[in-house]
Amino acid sequence: MSLKDSVRYELVTGEPTTVDDTTITPETRVLSVRWPNGGWVWNRPVAVVVEQEGQIERLPIVDVTRVAQISLYGFSLFIALLTLIASLGLRRKR
Amino acid sequence: MKDDAALFIKESTSNWKESTGLIDKLFAVAKPGAIFGEPVSDNGHTVITASEVHVGMGVGYGSGGAEGFSPPGAEEKEVEEESEETEEKPASTGYGSGYGGGGGGGGFSAGRPVAAIIIEPEGVRVEPIVDVTKLGLAFVTVLGSIFFMGSRMAKAGKRR
Repeated sequence: MSLKDSVRYELVTGEPTTVDDTTITPETRVLSVRWPNGGWVWNRPVAVVVEQEGQIERLPIVDVTRVAQISLYGFSLFIALLTLIASLGLRRKR
Repeated sequence: MKDDAALFIKESTSNWKESTGLIDKLFAVAKPGAIFGEPVSDNGHTVITASEVHVGMGVGYGSGGAEGFSPPGAEEKEVEEESEETEEKPASTGYGSGYGGGGGGGGFSAGRPVAAIIIEPEGVRVEPIVDVTKLGLAFVTVLGSIFFMGSRMAKAGKRR
């Protein structure tokens, strides 16, 4: 099993769903890792392509929870770095 | 004993095939159909949920076997010599033989709704779904780490 076969990161388009005069085509981003005795799959939605009255529009799906989580952890990391720099400055002064 | 070994190998092969089939099923999650729910209509509005899914799995197994046991001694050498001459498998001169095997596996799956796609007569909109519990936990973790950093800084300042 080659690395290309075992690790995949791709945009997958699903089957279109039609509701009245609207057709929705889902798009997902898949990260999958496969090894001989197991595997791991992470699948998340990225957008829906909406076809209505002859017009095609791509609506992105934003994961608000993930964005907020990353922002919070990023802020925490920034504070940690700031503290580290400040403590190094204190040691030099001594 | 040979019958037991054959049965053991047969059962092991079927278990191996079953576990491989289970891993193949795991990769069905990689399809968009597993992420987007069925449309639910009410009062002219249709809602389709979109979720994020994590699935992982691993299996492992091992087996061993033996067909005869000769206690260490003078007879062993003789048997080896004989086998070299005749190029035949030495007959069991001792006692006990058998096969054994074992296996195990584990897995996890997690899903979280990310957004709802709402189809209305006015058009289509994507409404994000916020996981308050997850955000709350992240907020508490960040607060804790900031408090920890602050207290360390305060201690370092006092030492001066």
